Amino acid sequence: MAVEAPPTTRPEPEPGPQAPPLGELLRQAWREFRSMRTALVLLFTIAAASIFGSLFPQRPISPQRVQQYLLDHPAAGPLLDRLGMFDVFGSAWYSAIYVALLGALVACLLPRTRALVRMLRARPPRATARFERYHNHATVTAAVPPEQAAETASKVLAGRRFRLADHPGGEVAGEKGYLREVGSLLFHVSFLLLLVGLAYGKGYGYRGQMSLVEGEEAANARVNYDAFTPGRFFSTERLPRFTLRLDDFSNSFYPDGTPSQYTASLVASDPAGRQLERQQVRVNRPMTVDGVRVFQSDYGYAPVVRVTVKGSGGKRLTPQDGPLLTLRDPATEVSNGAVKLPMLDPQVGLDVTMFTGLVTGDGADGRPTLANDPRLVNPVLVVFPWRGDLGADRAQSVFTLDRSKLQPLADRPLVIPLGGKGELPGGLGTVAFTGVKQYSVLTLARDPGVPLVATAAGLILLGLLPSLYVTRRRVWLRAVPTPGGSRVELAGLALQGKPAFAQEFRRLVAEVERALGRSRPGPGGATLAPAAAASPSREAGPGGSATRSRPGGD
Amino acid sequence: MSTARLAELSDTLVWLAVLSYVTAALLLGFELAYRVRWTGRAGVAVAVAGLAANAGAALTRGLAAGRVPWGNMYEYSVMIAAVTVTGWLVWVARRREVRPLGTFVLLPAVLAIAAAALILRVPAGPLVPALNSGWIKVHVVAAIIGSGTLCLASMFSALYLVAERAERRAAARRPPLVAGGARTADRVEVSEAIANYEAEEPAAAERPASAPGPGGRVLGLLPAADKLDELAFKTTAFGFPIWTFAIMAGGIWAQSAWGRYWGWDPKETWSFIIWVVYAAYLHARATAGWRGRAAAWVSLVGLAAFVINFYVVNTWVVGLHSYAK
Repeated sequence: MAVEAPPTTRPEPEPGPQAPPLGELLRQAWREFRSMRTALVLLFTIAAASIFGSLFPQRPISPQRVQQYLLDHPAAGPLLDRLGMFDVFGSAWYSAIYVALLGALVACLLPRTRALVRMLRARPPRATARFERYHNHATVTAAVPPEQAAETASKVLAGRRFRLADHPGGEVAGEKGYLREVGSLLFHVSFLLLLVGLAYGKGYGYRGQMSLVEGEEAANARVNYDAFTPGRFFSTERLPRFTLRLDDFSNSFYPDGTPSQYTASLVASDPAGRQLERQQVRVNRPMTVDGVRVFQSDYGYAPVVRVTVKGSGGKRLTPQDGPLLTLRDPATEVSNGAVKLPMLDPQVGLDVTMFTGLVTGDGADGRPTLANDPRLVNPVLVVFPWRGDLGADRAQSVFTLDRSKLQPLADRPLVIPLGGKGELPGGLGTVAFTGVKQYSVLTLARDPGVPLVATAAGLILLGLLPSLYVTRRRVWLRAVPTPGGSRVELAGLALQGKPAFAQEFRRLVAEVERALGRSRPGPGGATLAPAAAASPSREAGPGGSATRSRPGGD
Repeated sequence: MSTARLAELSDTLVWLAVLSYVTAALLLGFELAYRVRWTGRAGVAVAVAGLAANAGAALTRGLAAGRVPWGNMYEYSVMIAAVTVTGWLVWVARRREVRPLGTFVLLPAVLAIAAAALILRVPAGPLVPALNSGWIKVHVVAAIIGSGTLCLASMFSALYLVAERAERRAAARRPPLVAGGARTADRVEVSEAIANYEAEEPAAAERPASAPGPGGRVLGLLPAADKLDELAFKTTAFGFPIWTFAIMAGGIWAQSAWGRYWGWDPKETWSFIIWVVYAAYLHARATAGWRGRAAAWVSLVGLAAFVINFYVVNTWVVGLHSYAK
């Protein structure tokens, strides 16, 4: 996978009669593997394979949606699951594609690096034909002897950062634009670096989610995470020891009701209680504690609810007394939660809905309408009691009741404003709504690969630009004596960007012309015999040395 | 002016831009079909007026919402039309021969804006918190410029396919060329040195006389196929690093907003797919047997991926970038 590559299908060696068939086969397979064709096929394959990752819900992103998909598609779901469609980017076949792509990349980079080193060590080559057979060729006349003219013209090339070499016959070859291949190689090698950084960060980092109610604190320990995804080589003992406390959470809205900002006032302390960090953590403004980045990701409401019931033997119980975590619907800001009372017989469950700002009105048909103001202006709790079997032995969400074996206990819900109290039917007990707290869902993540990945990304961009914009081009020049002085012949060839080079060549010729126009014949220079000028050696010429190569290109 | 009036003005300007672009596309199409030069010049003038309306629409929208005017799909569409038309006008100013191509640039621009105005329009409003970052300027602007230029490049590739086909047919009707007429020094040099480098400029002897239009009237004003190919490559070479940068800037932003620089969100996945396809185009163009027609088709696949990423992924696929609606 190269923006350009040296010829990958080299002229096949004549198959000798004793050529070992296996070795030849392997060599051929290797050549095919590192060919641009293979790279192209692999690039298309990885593009096509990635599509699947956007067609199906992905476990690492949203396990709930995968679960839902499996429920909705009982026939196709398990089959797709076996094919790895719910974790495309972690599946064996996806890894196989990118490992093959990287293999082909390395296989192609090795010979290209060798070729680049060879090219940088070699002198710019001679012209392969008569100058006038190149598209770009020109002749400039000068009033100075050939050596001096060639010297002047060479200086122009050197000034334009051409790397020069003298060849027999007075021919000077210049070449520039090596940065193209250097950039291309850097671009491709950086992908290896990127992948190393990615794998390192994934293997030794972790990511998790933690919910904190206002005023509460939690230690950075595995048990306090709602979700935790450790890297393969990350052990929970390596979690940095600190405690997070949520002092305050606030969310604000624009006048049109859309959210404008969420802010969590967080304090991090070390195990001894000394404060490490204190920050207003907002979306796009994470806090860093001990190499762990703490992000504000979501929030919800925790109405402070006190439920008092009569247990067996008439004993008064308060199974719920404090903030009750509820799940917020981002579209309406209405939150849902549940209070489960399995100690009662029959069991009782309370469906709890919290409105942040209940607005009642009269609908067009005369029936009352309910709406919710997303701002916390009129918090109201709506409680629906249920009776029966809570199904507590089955795995279930803490936010909802499993109503499959429950019957409604009342035909009307309890509507309790903030500070109010509601009576459960049948003298079962009371529900008091004493306050509203918010909780913040924080994402904590550590990714030690980020510096490596960032460096690799920078190098990719750094290599990409010259690999696209620098072009390799060669210019040759030669001076031949004429009765009035000399004639400088120039030819040029661009390996890429021919239209632009045609202009560059014209400008170069004009510059040589100007430089030669300024030159005056040196002492005795004008009398040189034609034979002397045609001499292949320039060693004795003014300033001429056998190796006049300038290091590097541009 | 009140924000409501500004938003209203923005809507009017959007339709003015659509009207101007349609008119300009018709005028340029007339030039292309009947070689009437003055309609081409008039088309450019009307397109400039349309661009002014387009830019004005974006500006007033931004003022009405009190933020950058690229916070949702509608605004993104308006921006991308402005960028594409600007790109084409810059080319026209530099190389006149791309003027008749304006029809093929303006019509997609019109489609983008009209679809946005009819289907995707949302009232001017503020940004959701995740978008509230300085990176919206860097990431989204780079994405707009990168996708605009890459789509433009694919349009050139499509035109290349048309012109190339016409030239091939015209060449088939002509008597065969004298064999061996093209062994110039360049050709020897290139085959000896680096055969896989860019396509060699055909020597004068073997180049089909494409300038005076072998393929009928419409193609008569289209630049020669190899010129279009060159144009497509240059435009891709301009857009590809910008698209690369847009993805990287998105990664930096995602790192600060969501705590990870890459998470295979559907939008991220598709921007990666697009990146790979255009990377494949650049590789194909440097591969024997792929340069030319096959490479142009790869570029068209890239265009299709853009369309899918914008219209399908934004509206149907659930992901973190779903606020773009």
